[in-house]
Amino acid sequence: MKKKKDVTIDRCAYWFIAPYYMFFLLFVLLPIVVNITLSFTDFNLKTISFVGLKNYFVLAHDGLFWKSVLNTLIYVIFTVFMTLVLGFVLALALNSAALWGTRFFRGFIYLPYVTSMVSMSMVWLWLYDPTNGVFNVMLETLGLEARQWLYDEKLALGAMIVMGVWKGIGYYMTLYIAGLNNIPSYLYEAASIDGAGCLQKVFSITIPMLRPVTFFIVITGVINAFNVFEQVNVMTGGGPMNATTTIVHQIYTRAFTEYRMGYGAAEAVFLLLIILVFTLLNFRYGNQGQDLDIG
Amino acid sequence: MRIKKSTRIILFVFMLLFCVIIIIPFLIMVSTSLKTPAEISSAAFRLWPERWQFSNYVEAMRSSDWGRFFWNSFYTTVLSVVISLVINSLAGYAFARMTFKGKDFLFLLALVGMMIPQQVTMLPNFVAMKYFPLMGGNNILGQGGTGLVNTYAGMVAPYIAGAFGVFLFRQFFMNFPKSLDDAAKIDGLSRMGAFVRIYLPLSKSIFATLIVFKTTSTWNEYTWPLIITTRKNMWTVQLALSVFKEEFITQWNYLMAATTLIMLPLLVMYVFMQKYFVEGIVTTGIKG
Repeated sequence: MKKKKDVTIDRCAYWFIAPYYMFFLLFVLLPIVVNITLSFTDFNLKTISFVGLKNYFVLAHDGLFWKSVLNTLIYVIFTVFMTLVLGFVLALALNSAALWGTRFFRGFIYLPYVTSMVSMSMVWLWLYDPTNGVFNVMLETLGLEARQWLYDEKLALGAMIVMGVWKGIGYYMTLYIAGLNNIPSYLYEAASIDGAGCLQKVFSITIPMLRPVTFFIVITGVINAFNVFEQVNVMTGGGPMNATTTIVHQIYTRAFTEYRMGYGAAEAVFLLLIILVFTLLNFRYGNQGQDLDIG
Repeated sequence: MRIKKSTRIILFVFMLLFCVIIIIPFLIMVSTSLKTPAEISSAAFRLWPERWQFSNYVEAMRSSDWGRFFWNSFYTTVLSVVISLVINSLAGYAFARMTFKGKDFLFLLALVGMMIPQQVTMLPNFVAMKYFPLMGGNNILGQGGTGLVNTYAGMVAPYIAGAFGVFLFRQFFMNFPKSLDDAAKIDGLSRMGAFVRIYLPLSKSIFATLIVFKTTSTWNEYTWPLIITTRKNMWTVQLALSVFKEEFITQWNYLMAATTLIMLPLLVMYVFMQKYFVEGIVTTGIKG
């Protein structure tokens, strides 16, 4: 028996999506294929030769690369965790109708997220300046010893993390505020009747209800943090003693300053795999934040 | 939740302090940009300059061809915004309102693409740009010239491939009532006709959101211009600033003046269109 289709197929739909997919194919999908191919070659933009898995073997023993992986991991864990907690606390404070000037506060806290990483790197470079930077001026006023900040192997990465948290906090906060608006108020009312206190409500209603938002934030936050590069290149160039070099900084250095495109491509494949794991996690367990309401 | 007045005041003071911490770097940026070098290196720290040196701004802009850098940033931003708006709204509309074979798969592909960061594709994209056939003195095999390196086309193309706009438009158009399509059909409008005459006039807010989002991300972009431009006359403001730093590392007043100026267009936009900044990130929150 033939079943009659009740939906009409729009052939013209392909014309609507074609312009976009042309760009997508050329500048997202094809590059990934090209990148994987290049990772099996030695390529210096002039000559190219197939070398099989050599780049990957070299990569496995490249101490500098693993140092960059470690730095990136530290950056990811601390930045995401600290921004998450602070963003959540701020969202809680700013979502309560009892506070004055919430719009004003939100506007200011979100501000660093709007500005470019390069310009903020300049500003923080100045704040961290060993002789006249504001951090050392403060320390000296308090009678403490001035620090070398970005020139100190032990402090440089931490300094980067502080700046990363400062810049990203408004973004996390905004997502959390949207999430808080989605929690039905009767849950809190019911809890009040049951005699729950403020903290109890936060732990038994707010945090569990925000799980999808938190999941989304962690995934996208981790992916973004894994790509940390701009501030590294502008502020420290990976130094001192490679204390702040990151995966993307290594890719950039190998490919665009040493012109070892094949080797850089192998490093990019490594990064791609990490990103892919988190992307799959997101598709498997997340909902793309689609049901977030705009508050 | 009911909150006692005393808690309210403590909370307010706490938030105010926090905001001050967030804002201090900006204040220091502006005040440094107005100081004399002598005041900057003096041991006594003061937030506001003794005498406001507005000439620092003029000097900073004179130090290099900043008119050109601003033009490059402006031009690439306009190109990226306009082209993205057109092709993303078309694709978003198709995904929201049309049925066609492979729709789910194609949309999933775009979503995966949205998660793939530019840092992963920058290397092959550079190679592709350099060997782009028949451009920049290249022959059909992409040999001999510089391809799309140092061209506006090369600078902008990867920005347009971002899937964020498609996703945003799809979400927006899906909320339209189905009866709208039927009405359009009765009026004898084609799909394109319905899109242009009915959907677009109702989509001002989503266009504003995407304009804000795309302008911010293109204007602030650093990594791709760093790679794809090798000639100074193609530099964007972000790139120029990072080079400016190396040349004038000790002249913080000029550096901060230039930093303030390149941030200014977005700050103005932020003040007037704050709502749309928030909407963009809340809808998906991914850079693209």
